[in-house]
Amino acid sequence: MTHARTLATALAVGLMPIAAAAQSMSPMRGEVNSFTDVFAVRVFPANPYDQKIRVEIHVYDQDFQPVAARISPSAFQLASQASRPVLVVVPFGGAAERKVRICTESIPFPNQQTQIKAQICGKFFGHRKS
Amino acid sequence: MTSFRAVFGAALLVACIDQSALATTQNVIFNGTITATCTLVVATNGTMTVSPDLQSLSSHNSGGSAGTVTLTTTGGVSLSVDPVTITTVPAADTTSTTWTPTYSAAGTHSIAETGSATSLGTPGADLVSVNLAGTKGGSNRFASGNYQATVTVRCE
Repeated sequence: MTHARTLATALAVGLMPIAAAAQSMSPMRGEVNSFTDVFAVRVFPANPYDQKIRVEIHVYDQDFQPVAARISPSAFQLASQASRPVLVVVPFGGAAERKVRICTESIPFPNQQTQIKAQICGKFFGHRKS
Repeated sequence: MTSFRAVFGAALLVACIDQSALATTQNVIFNGTITATCTLVVATNGTMTVSPDLQSLSSHNSGGSAGTVTLTTTGGVSLSVDPVTITTVPAADTTSTTWTPTYSAAGTHSIAETGSATSLGTPGADLVSVNLAGTKGGSNRFASGNYQATVTVRCE
């Protein structure tokens, strides 16, 4: 039942951007109103590379501390120039509003001395309506 | 009867001409919305080399090279690098190292080398150079072996 309510919330308030190739993540900003203990955001990570990459999605608070959000899926392979939806359900944790960062991280290429990890973060603001 | 046919034909012809005269144009509206967007593509990773006094392991040293990342954005985002937290050092290196990541950018936005966040207000594309320097103080020295560090470049 909780899952169904969460899904309903996601469908009601989920952000539906114009999906486009060659974007690392879209949208990067959003405000969500929710009538439940959680709010949901749908983001679209994309792979701008010409090769398959592994992508991980992480959720952080304003101080970049990890947030116990449900991410579906949280890690996956993404084909070249492809994009896919990821559903992120963030608990309010008893607060009336919550700001989080949802970040798409690419896994660095192996066997290099200085590896660079690219991270695209979107800022999202959830408001709990009573 | 002949005159009736002539009159009817003329009326039909005029009616056809009138049809073309009634043609109108309609506008088709296209709307598009682009939200703040940022794309980072890691082009090359970097290489660090050690200084003659063995107290600096840096991409700035002779023979070292910066990593490069291409950035494309609509603007309204900021670029930053995280403190280095993921490192691999040889077992012989038991002393502490201070890691300092920095970046600079050339292209639409010109950013001098910095370790702080930079706001990118306008759209454009840039080549971002990412450097990393590890330093040891006092009598500490880098040891022989393989070093590896990960720098996180963030656009948000």
